[in-house]
Amino acid sequence: MSSNNESIGKTLTVVVALCLVCAIIVSFASVQLRPLQQANKTQDIQKNILAAAGIDAVENISDTFNAKIEARVVDMSTGEFVETDPNSFDFEKSKFDQKISVALKEQGIKDIAGIQRMTKESPVYISKKADGSTDAIILPIQGYGLWGVMYGFLALESDGETVKDINFYKHNETPGLGGEIQNPQWTASWSGKELPINIVKSGAKNEHQIDGLSGATLTSNGVDHAVDFWTGENGFGPFLARVREGALK
Amino acid sequence: MADTKEMKSVLFGPVFANNPIALQVLGVCSALAVTSSLKNALIMSIALTLVTAFSSLFISMIRNQIPSSVRIIVQMTIIASLVIVVDQVLQAFSYATAKELSVFVGLIITNCIVMGRAEAYAMKSPPIMSFLDGIGNGLGYSVVLLTVGFIRELFGKGTLFGADIIPLVQDGGWYQPMGLLILPPSAFFIIGLFIWVLRTYKKDQVEAKG
Repeated sequence: MSSNNESIGKTLTVVVALCLVCAIIVSFASVQLRPLQQANKTQDIQKNILAAAGIDAVENISDTFNAKIEARVVDMSTGEFVETDPNSFDFEKSKFDQKISVALKEQGIKDIAGIQRMTKESPVYISKKADGSTDAIILPIQGYGLWGVMYGFLALESDGETVKDINFYKHNETPGLGGEIQNPQWTASWSGKELPINIVKSGAKNEHQIDGLSGATLTSNGVDHAVDFWTGENGFGPFLARVREGALK
Repeated sequence: MADTKEMKSVLFGPVFANNPIALQVLGVCSALAVTSSLKNALIMSIALTLVTAFSSLFISMIRNQIPSSVRIIVQMTIIASLVIVVDQVLQAFSYATAKELSVFVGLIITNCIVMGRAEAYAMKSPPIMSFLDGIGNGLGYSVVLLTVGFIRELFGKGTLFGADIIPLVQDGGWYQPMGLLILPPSAFFIIGLFIWVLRTYKKDQVEAKG
């Protein structure tokens, strides 16, 4: 090892050359793999929408999705469909885009789900039966659980009243306790219940009540509030009102 | 050039005799986080072994050019670049696992094993030996991770690689899963037990009292 390794010139040369090589490798990997990653991400969302619609274990996710699901964008305040591209939404990031979102506090909306901001428009997914009639309406929902925001889809029957399924695909809840919101046995208990949903400690008595998760009261409350918010007047309420009047057929 | 015997000791020494987690006590943090299922533990092991091996290789290749004043930064840059590449590849080819491992792949950058081997071995040794040293330490890490992952998934969830092994009470079986094992702190107990067993066999690992 020569001592001129320590000279300023040598140090700069080594550092600059190394950064250049590393930067090229990293950007090459990133650019080359981006289309695959993007496809994976879209497919992951599509898989979860299909799961919420009760369509499981399909071989080609995108084909099934395109054949069975119609994605539309709804204006949250009026409940009307608008012509925005549903693929332009990112369920985690769009609400921070000032142009298309609002802060709940500034609007005087009670932020029961703990989400702080929401987009003014939102995609909804409509799954079709073979004859073209509506099978289920899938609403993207999110709400704060115990440790962080839980992202999921709530599927309703075509009457806009009855719950078909609920599917959380991203959350930070405690494994084995709050993490059980993904347990198929628990989500199955949602099927056939009617809005408004109320999660109770134990012994669900009627069609509005669902047993909470034991050991996960705060997560259960979070889910309860998220569903209340997104099916309420500040969420998809106006849209659901139109669905109940038969807007979808 | 090093002979085969030395190569062997560099490659397999870290698996039990000089295990990075059990004896050097490096890289414990990620061992707690990613071992709740065997599949995650396996992917993490592969990712870490590759990163350690290749970072050691590259660092060793340019070790005579690295000015000692910036050597840690140089090592860090190489390790970080490799980790980003691994993360990108995972996101492209194994999206579900990448999602579950989330931040922990990125945290390989700060995993003490990679840095430790780069600084302690690769800076002084020829490339081939450094590469083997990286693989060896990766294997040592993997042995612990897979052991912990095996115990945690089997007794915490009743499954292995996601396939049902023990029928759980909630599915009509007989086994009541141990909730503690799914939570990260349980890995402390298992690693502790692992070190105990290892030291019972290899008495020379026990520090002299005094």
